[in-house]
Amino acid sequence: MMHTIRFSALLILLGLFCSCEKVIDLKVPDSSPKYVIEGLVSNQTGGAKVTISLSKNFTDDNTLNGVSGALISVESDGTVYPFVAAGNGVYQNSTLTGIPGHTYKLTVNISSNTYTSTSIMPQPVSLDSVYIVTDEFSKNKDKSLQRLVTVKYKDPADTRNYYRFIQYIDNIKEKTIFVSDDEFTNGQEVNGRLNFSNDNDAPTREVRTGKQVRIEMQCIDAAVYKYFYSLDTDASGDSNNATPANPISNISGGVLGYFSAYTITSKTITVPPQ
Amino acid sequence: MKKNGPIRFPNLIYPLMKLHQFLRVFFCITVMAIIGSLHAFAQSPLDKKVTINLNNVPLKQALDKLTAASGVRFTYNEAVAASSIKLTIKAKAQSIRQVLDATLATYPYSYSELDQDILIRYDAMKLKKLNAEPAAKPVTGRHTISGTITSEQSGETVIGASIRVINGVQGTSSNGYGFYSLTLPVGDYQLMVSAIGQKTDTIAVSLTGDEKLNIALSDNAQQLQTVTITAAPQGGRDLKSPQMGVERLSVKEITDVPVLLGEHDVIKTIQLLPGIKPAGEGSGGFYVRGGGADQNLILLDEATVYNASHLLGFFSTFNSDAIKNVSVYKGDMPAQYGGRLSSVIDVKMNDGNNQKFGVSGGVGMIAARLNVEGPIQKGKSSFLISARRTYADVFLKLSKDTTIKNTQLYFYDFNAKANYILGDKDRLYISGYFGKDVLAADDLNGIDWGNTTATLRWNHIFNSRFFSNTSLIYSNYDYKIKAKQDVSSFLIYSRIKDWSFKEDMQYDIGEDHSLSFGLNSIYHTLKPGEISATGNSGIISQQLETRYAWDNAAYLTDTWKATDRFTLTYGLRVSAFSIIGPGHYYDLDTDGNITGSTNYNSGQIVKTYINPEPRAAAAFQLNETSSVKASYARNAQNLHLVTNSTPGSPLDKWVASTNIIKPELADQFSIGYYKNLVQGKYELTVETYYKKLQNQIDYRNGTNIFTNQPIETQLLYGKGRAYGAEFLLKKKTGRLTGWVSYTLSKTERLIDGINQNQWYNARQDRTHDLSVVGIYKLNDQWTFSANFVFYTGDAVTYPSGKYQIDGVNYYYYTSRNASRLPAYNRLDIGATKQLKHTKKYTSELNFSLYNAYGNRNAYRIFFRDSKTDPNRTEAVRTTLFTYVPSVTYNFKF
Repeated sequence: MMHTIRFSALLILLGLFCSCEKVIDLKVPDSSPKYVIEGLVSNQTGGAKVTISLSKNFTDDNTLNGVSGALISVESDGTVYPFVAAGNGVYQNSTLTGIPGHTYKLTVNISSNTYTSTSIMPQPVSLDSVYIVTDEFSKNKDKSLQRLVTVKYKDPADTRNYYRFIQYIDNIKEKTIFVSDDEFTNGQEVNGRLNFSNDNDAPTREVRTGKQVRIEMQCIDAAVYKYFYSLDTDASGDSNNATPANPISNISGGVLGYFSAYTITSKTITVPPQ
Repeated sequence: MKKNGPIRFPNLIYPLMKLHQFLRVFFCITVMAIIGSLHAFAQSPLDKKVTINLNNVPLKQALDKLTAASGVRFTYNEAVAASSIKLTIKAKAQSIRQVLDATLATYPYSYSELDQDILIRYDAMKLKKLNAEPAAKPVTGRHTISGTITSEQSGETVIGASIRVINGVQGTSSNGYGFYSLTLPVGDYQLMVSAIGQKTDTIAVSLTGDEKLNIALSDNAQQLQTVTITAAPQGGRDLKSPQMGVERLSVKEITDVPVLLGEHDVIKTIQLLPGIKPAGEGSGGFYVRGGGADQNLILLDEATVYNASHLLGFFSTFNSDAIKNVSVYKGDMPAQYGGRLSSVIDVKMNDGNNQKFGVSGGVGMIAARLNVEGPIQKGKSSFLISARRTYADVFLKLSKDTTIKNTQLYFYDFNAKANYILGDKDRLYISGYFGKDVLAADDLNGIDWGNTTATLRWNHIFNSRFFSNTSLIYSNYDYKIKAKQDVSSFLIYSRIKDWSFKEDMQYDIGEDHSLSFGLNSIYHTLKPGEISATGNSGIISQQLETRYAWDNAAYLTDTWKATDRFTLTYGLRVSAFSIIGPGHYYDLDTDGNITGSTNYNSGQIVKTYINPEPRAAAAFQLNETSSVKASYARNAQNLHLVTNSTPGSPLDKWVASTNIIKPELADQFSIGYYKNLVQGKYELTVETYYKKLQNQIDYRNGTNIFTNQPIETQLLYGKGRAYGAEFLLKKKTGRLTGWVSYTLSKTERLIDGINQNQWYNARQDRTHDLSVVGIYKLNDQWTFSANFVFYTGDAVTYPSGKYQIDGVNYYYYTSRNASRLPAYNRLDIGATKQLKHTKKYTSELNFSLYNAYGNRNAYRIFFRDSKTDPNRTEAVRTTLFTYVPSVTYNFKF
């Protein structure tokens, strides 16, 4: 959870700068499109999904440039699960449900290139509870104090654990990456606050009384944690990082993206009055 | 203020016109220098021919008649005008120079050129010389004159004063303690002593044996207010000395340069000189000749200052009230310095006035200052206490908003020094600095950081040729982060602490050789981080292993005056950096994973890095006004600052070399050309350098800076190269002074594992860098100033594409630092109005306007989904400062 501390320290620093921001026309270099593979295998039915897309130029629109015609399979314990196209670059296998502790091997063939990756599904850790706290230092657009979700779980002492949390508010997914490891919290009962900055003041992102909050806790492996950590710090476009770079992928063959075999536990609450 | 009326337009336009002239002159001189016909450029008023016959005419009248006959104007004060001396002049087509030389020879007046005028002033020293009986004794042999150069008014020692034999070739300059030593054959000499900010003095010496000669120079500033304007002293760059890449500034020189929020700042001012570049607006760091911000050794009275910036870099830790002098060495350090690759910034504090008690201070837009100094025993010992604190937080307390009300935001500095002259041969100094920044949202959330240094020094003069300085130094830098979330709170603490001993000796073997030698021993303690947590966050309190290192160095340098024109300095510094247990040291594979570790006991040596660092420099004087120099220096660095944040943060981590992190090495080659133009009114410096860097460090991609893994797992290594040419043209005299500085350069890195192992531009690579500084003294009351800065934007990494992960846009990068921030440019203007000037009390008002035309310079550029069209991405530019006006009131009594 060190990440969260850094976050608040930075907020104080940034608050100091009475800076002014302006959208500018900037000439950024173009690049030839690159494959992006997002491979998922979860311990829930229907959780086996691979999305393949192509990167775009900065000035292009934000629609997903899905890639069709890829040959995709995941192999585990000698069984090969082929994936079928579901349109717009999405491929699925309806029978593959992951089992914790097992190794999954992804193979993707696109226009005679092969990309592979392996991921070991970690043992699940249960999400004990989810509750709402008030952040005394950040405010919503209407000047009310921002409320944030805190997750509570017991970290197992005997293994290294890596977590990713996904926050849905009235079924709208928060885009902030919430990842954590147990480097400083091994074996402890952890209360972790899911800090995010509502940088575009979207009311849909605010945690408000009466809204439904669903938190999905994923146990991920070390390589996937590293991927999301570096994606967040190096590739999010925020220039506080002096040296932006592509995140560290666990897929070989020179593509963007990652392959994750993960477990899910989730909890839903209704935001209580303040 | 009403009394003074509004500032009139002509007053404002005039300095601008002069600035234009100055630039034109600069251009002319450059062109002329190229075609090599400087003499044709401008006729000095002293060279004008005149035919005149005067018999026993009072001085003022005689000067008026000379003006009528030649058209040359004279400037002088009332004392000169009222002089009772009578002159007889008979000249037929003689130059004004010849006329004045002949006429004033027997009177205590001297003349100098001042723009197109000639300044006549009373010269008491001349009187002394006139009365001095030259004692010519037919003795042969060589003897040494030595002593200390001080300011007459304050008793402060004068650093870097030049002592030259008039009509001779011998000369030297005073060291960091004002001490000088000059060996000459027996004979009669006239010595010219000059220094920046002091009146030039001429002293007649009849040398028959070793002689002790302490010299008190009077301050220039004092004369400035009684006479109209005076010519600045010769001083300036030493054509004979092989030392290259050095810039010296006295605090007096910088007080008229406009600055952000009126806080005079030596660190900001040196960034207007060639080869020294700011690390960006609002950053305390700076880059010297392509080196990193951590490759500058910043010394305050010899103690290392690890973080020389306040308020995240807007201000430096050096309160100009307490500072005497700054010397900047751009990589060609003398062998007495070591430990950093790119530069040494040697800041010396004032000693304290040992003549009279004084209080000075000021109130600016953000900070208030108070400085108290005076003799403990007149002429023998003195003290100085200087304090500065920002007061903006006082206003925060008045806010109704509790968040603002609870915010703490301030910094302070406290400097203190005392010195005691124990006798002819010994002098003791004790000095200290303490500064802190506090930045907090309330008692539980915030960061604070600060430096503490203390120095005890003992100057001892063994004999007229042998000077020694012994120092005991303490330095500490630490930071603390406090954070609270819900019911949990955290505290992170980190520090670096040094104890050091330093011995520097200077020994003049004779007329031709002068030795410097000494040793330096530093014990470093680095506490990289400790975290304490309370509450339910699950974070376990722990600390990273403290690292210990013992850093030793010894050096020997000889300066050999081979001929009248050729001087050579050569020497060697040997550094030995020992990493000392206790602690675990690791073995890593190429991906940075730990493959093994060794545990060392307390006091056990983990590894010692020995680095010979040869230094050599040569100067060849071409003629009276020009010289060429060449230099080579190797430097080793064993403390490294690893940073990954754009502005540089007080939380950046200092790490020592380990079994894996090798000492950084730099080899710098440079050559330079130096010329004094137009009777020394202008000074031209051209220097070029090539620097090779080894064992450079960078973070791996995806680095987690908050980790209890050994730092080595997060690092990559490689090499660097930097080369460039620097041009500096200074105008040192007249109503308009200032300089134009231009640097053309290239800086690259090659790090294994970054940018597909190809060379890439370092962030600080700036092709062009131009600074123009102009100070115009209109009259006794008003001084105007302006500076203009232009430089190529930093090399940065812009995305070359985008893609989606889990429905969110992220950016795709191809090559490191292949793009550029927009070019930076800014004009600052300033004006100082002298309000009151009496012997007992002076006060002045300083106005400045930072970024006068409000250019929106990019502090950073970031990328995000468009706020107006979510189907697009956009680039956003952040600007820190546009139009920052400020008023500062300064007083002294």
